[in-house]
Amino acid sequence: MDLPGPIHDFLLVFLESGLILLGGLGVVLLTNPIYSAFSLGLVLVCISLFYILSNSHFVAAAQLLIYVGAINVLILFAVMFMNGSEYYKDFNLWTIGNGLTSLVCTSILVLLITTILDTSWYGIILTTRSNQIIEQDLISNSQQIGIHLATDFFLPFEFISIILLVALIGAIAVARQ
Amino acid sequence: MMLEHILVLSAYLFSIGIYGLITSRNMVRALMCLELILNAVNINFVTFSDFFDSRQLKGNIFSIFVIAIAAAEAAIGSAIVSSIYRNRKSTRINQSTLLNK
Repeated sequence: MDLPGPIHDFLLVFLESGLILLGGLGVVLLTNPIYSAFSLGLVLVCISLFYILSNSHFVAAAQLLIYVGAINVLILFAVMFMNGSEYYKDFNLWTIGNGLTSLVCTSILVLLITTILDTSWYGIILTTRSNQIIEQDLISNSQQIGIHLATDFFLPFEFISIILLVALIGAIAVARQ
Repeated sequence: MMLEHILVLSAYLFSIGIYGLITSRNMVRALMCLELILNAVNINFVTFSDFFDSRQLKGNIFSIFVIAIAAAEAAIGSAIVSSIYRNRKSTRINQSTLLNK
């Protein structure tokens, strides 16, 4: 999205980073699963706004419709359907496994951050920008995604539809009984 | 600078998801952490498609495929969790020992 000033852009990105960081911690660390499901919804909405900032309006709409509208509601339904008093028994159970896992995950995060900061991304950007043909096309991003789905990615698109049909039938058959 | 910032954010979401997936004792919370991991992958796809491939947008198409797979996974996961809950009256991961009979 073309915002007027870079200050506005930075402000939005930092706000979303704060919300995503706090929400991601809330999904894992909150004791009540209903609070954690709402925190997941907050994270998904912030990620959708973030896609709007990075010029991907179709993916933002798909994220908002499918993740927030379908998956998060399904998870909330599962939490409320299997509500019990067993959630509150073991909330401060800090075992040795949790500490070991947090150590491993922190080391993974530090390794990824050092790798990201060591890579020279702008050389890659310059080489790819120079290879692209400078042509002025008037179609929008959504039209381009539609053209790719109908021509290049036609077979994976049909496979995705078959997978969704099979998954819905299987979910109903497992949950019915 | 923007690109590194977004990639660090995605790595943070990924490691938080891994941590929650390993340490959670509730199956529904494990499903939520799986969604976090898939969202981290999606952020990377969309960001690289915006920065490196702004003409063809193939990363956007892959992220749409990932979203569809996540929808199927959430439906199947919820069905399996409800089936286990019906049999065992519990959704804790360390109590689902159905093969131990």
